[in-house]
Amino acid sequence: MSYIKLENIKKSFGSGESKTEVLKGISCEIEKGSVCVLLGASGSGKSTLLNIIGGIDNADEGYISINGEKTADMNEKALTLYRRKHLGYIFQMYNLIPNLNIKENVEVGAYLSDNPLNVDDVLKTLGLYEHRHKLPNQLSGGQQQRTAIGRAIVKNPDILLCDEPTGALDYNTSKEILKLIEEINQKYGNTVIMVTHNDAIKNMADRVIKLRDGVIRKDYVNETKTPVCELEW
Amino acid sequence: MKNPLNKRIFREIKGEAGKYFVIFVLMSAIIGIVSGFLIADESLKTAYDNSFKKYNVEDGNFELIQKADKKTISSIQKEDVKVYENFYIEEENEKNDSIVRIFKNRKKVNKVCLWNGKMPKNDNEIALERLYARNNNYSVGDKIEFKNKTFKISGIIALSDYSALYQNNTDFMFDSVKFGLAIVTDNAFDNLPKTHLHYSYSYKYNNPPADPLGKKAIDKGNDFMNALSEKVVITNFVPRCSSNAINFAGDDIGKDRVMFITFLYILIVIISFVFAVTTSNTIRKEANVIGTLRASGYKKRELIRHYMAPSALVLFFSAVVGNVLGYTILKEYMADAYLNSYSLTTYKTLFNFTAFIDTTLIPLCILLFINFVMLARTLSLSPLKFLRRDLKRRQRKKAFKLNTKIPIIIRYRLRVFFQNIPNYLTIFAGVFFASILIVFGVMFSPLLDYFEEQTVKNMLAPYQYVLKAPSNTNTKDAEKYAAYELKTTGRDFTESISIIGIQKNSKYFKQKIMGDGIIISSAYADKYSLEKGDKITLKEKYKNKKYKFKIKGIYNYPCNLCVFMDLNKFNEKFDFDKDYYTGYFSKEKIKDIDENLIASHITKEDLTKTSRQMEISMGNMMSIFITAGVGIFMLIIYLLAKIIIEKNAQSISMAKILGYNKREIGKIYIHTTSIVTVISLLLCMFITHKAIVAIWHAMMMSYSGWLPPEIPVMTYVKVFMLGIITYAAVAFILKKKINKIPMDEALKYVE
Repeated sequence: MSYIKLENIKKSFGSGESKTEVLKGISCEIEKGSVCVLLGASGSGKSTLLNIIGGIDNADEGYISINGEKTADMNEKALTLYRRKHLGYIFQMYNLIPNLNIKENVEVGAYLSDNPLNVDDVLKTLGLYEHRHKLPNQLSGGQQQRTAIGRAIVKNPDILLCDEPTGALDYNTSKEILKLIEEINQKYGNTVIMVTHNDAIKNMADRVIKLRDGVIRKDYVNETKTPVCELEW
Repeated sequence: MKNPLNKRIFREIKGEAGKYFVIFVLMSAIIGIVSGFLIADESLKTAYDNSFKKYNVEDGNFELIQKADKKTISSIQKEDVKVYENFYIEEENEKNDSIVRIFKNRKKVNKVCLWNGKMPKNDNEIALERLYARNNNYSVGDKIEFKNKTFKISGIIALSDYSALYQNNTDFMFDSVKFGLAIVTDNAFDNLPKTHLHYSYSYKYNNPPADPLGKKAIDKGNDFMNALSEKVVITNFVPRCSSNAINFAGDDIGKDRVMFITFLYILIVIISFVFAVTTSNTIRKEANVIGTLRASGYKKRELIRHYMAPSALVLFFSAVVGNVLGYTILKEYMADAYLNSYSLTTYKTLFNFTAFIDTTLIPLCILLFINFVMLARTLSLSPLKFLRRDLKRRQRKKAFKLNTKIPIIIRYRLRVFFQNIPNYLTIFAGVFFASILIVFGVMFSPLLDYFEEQTVKNMLAPYQYVLKAPSNTNTKDAEKYAAYELKTTGRDFTESISIIGIQKNSKYFKQKIMGDGIIISSAYADKYSLEKGDKITLKEKYKNKKYKFKIKGIYNYPCNLCVFMDLNKFNEKFDFDKDYYTGYFSKEKIKDIDENLIASHITKEDLTKTSRQMEISMGNMMSIFITAGVGIFMLIIYLLAKIIIEKNAQSISMAKILGYNKREIGKIYIHTTSIVTVISLLLCMFITHKAIVAIWHAMMMSYSGWLPPEIPVMTYVKVFMLGIITYAAVAFILKKKINKIPMDEALKYVE
């Protein structure tokens, strides 16, 4: 049974002659607990689609329903509550709070949940426990991204939205991060939607949706799912 | 779980410790001053109000030409009053050319408040009024020498019926330098020469009016005066409701309250805008974090609360420290401002809840409101906009066009200017407010000097005598005149206007007075914005009879509110005898009139009482105005210019990478602020002048008399120079800040 349903999502930017249609009618369904990779080149509309799923952008047409609830029917307050309850966000830039230490940055996420995971456990899982008292600028990019992941998962969200989470990282660190996302998905059973332009990452997904020029070019279930440790690019 | 974001509030404050510390110090000082003032004001007002009962202050007094016998007293007491002798002798203190009014100790009415020392027990001892003693450097144990007797000062006192030291109720200003009060033993009093003995009586109603200062009191006073005048010859009658010596201080305490609170609130609004601009800069810097938090589900109000917290906390702690200072050190300082002016009785510091509301709650509300509006507006942008660091509501499609013929550095500067218009507007508002304070502080002394100079220059005559009874003189050039007092007819505020009858072809009054018309003094015209051709209505001081006059001219006489009219018309108008007069103008000292017949000489000292008293009352405050003004000026320019630099840190860094030298970068970023500051200062000099004249006018409308707001151009030059010097210090710090920006700053935050 589908957990997230996208129905004819359209989105354009600008007006008149400069109007650009970024999404031209996207429809698909994503199952609960699956890892879904949105794949596409720069400008294909994948980040816009992710933002619409995350409720931080609106579709011009169509709707998204999550567990039967349409986000288009929600006002700003309800959307905030929806994000608070159900979503975890990971961005390419880690966007950590510079004057909070690592543990506190994770606590920022925990605060939003009525039933958060244990912060120390999360830090241990992420390999950050010994760095918990450091400030973000004292850590490497990979460690900062792990902190951002910790902030997103500590509230135990139903859906984890990842926007190019390895975009700013080197090969080894990227793999480390992807492994972490895989582990989290297996451990907590959250639905993961990951935007990437790295073709190799699709192999770790249960579901792959390939976008080009605002339309779905391919949408398939990955029958040969590869563990992250075996991915190469 | 507590919001973990709270943990960064103190770190945020610590991270910007310099900025918050300066704001904290400035706000604590200002809140302390205002709080100290309000506490002193309330405590002194309460002490003043309570003094009526505590010291059994009279319901009025009158003076007789001779001592009333028992029969007369009992006849007077039939008019629902109890009468008490309160005779006094005025002795001249030649050491400082002043007059001391000496009384016996009062045991029943107008009792004496002892500030320190003790009441005189021996006949060579005297208790001296506190203000006169202070202004003339007398203290307990000193000797004071009069023409006929020397006394040892045993104590320092206040007399409850002289909270303002008016020698005569008709004086338009009291004088605590040249007029003092004293108490001696009954025996010492009886042994003083009686040349200047005044048969003054105090009275208390058996059934006092319900409103001691209201209409009923006035009517009761008038009824008593009419009844009294049928029994005895009175030379002076002052009911309590009309007594300046009793009421002036009470009326004045509390008058400056609005001014102080307004001053605080204006400052709070400016500081709130400074906070709003700095917070908006922080939001701009942290846009991606805010976007992430919002995308993660943080509510707008949680973030508003978070970003409002540092400024609210700083203001709250400033208010706490300010109130502590207000209740301790500054209360004394502010109370001194009143105690320097008025001869008040002792007081106790009272907790003042209104002061707490005015200095803490309302400023906090103002700050929270302004910051809330700004934050609610900014944070209403979508999380996506924050993530994209796109915080403009309206996207400008094209860059603002600038003529390419303009050199690049100037164009660059213009871009910096247009980018930072809100900052520059706040700088302008801050410079304007600071200028008002500084000009007010700097102008005060020259203004008083100018007034004194003009007053002396425009005295009607070198010698002006007021007679007790008509008396002829053979002094050459002596010229008779007559004087009378009327009152203005304002609803909330009335004051005395001197009506002076001038002889035809006067040698002393240089303007011709035609027919029934009147000429008014320039002081009167300036204060009430009167012009030739206008009509005025004045009324009797103790009756309802009104007089209408048409102004035929204005006479340059800046020291008093006067109406000049022809002496014959004067006597006709006020029903005096044809040859009635009250004194002489003279070019030289009149020597052939018995001193007992001379009520007073009007001297330069009499006419400059207002300026002298204002110097004493307000002189100390002026340094506070200047310091506060300079502080505000520095703080606002520094904070806002710093934001401009921080906002452009990446561009500055990039300019360094490109090879621009420090001077060129300074030209772009510091010179823009310098130009704005100099232009703001210049513009503010003009606007400030208009504002100061309007404020001064409004302020003087609640005082008797008039001091023209003549502010010499040099005052503005001084303020401008002070502004430039202050800015130079700020620019130096800013330059250091620019030099510190590293070149790798340009590489940060690049996505």
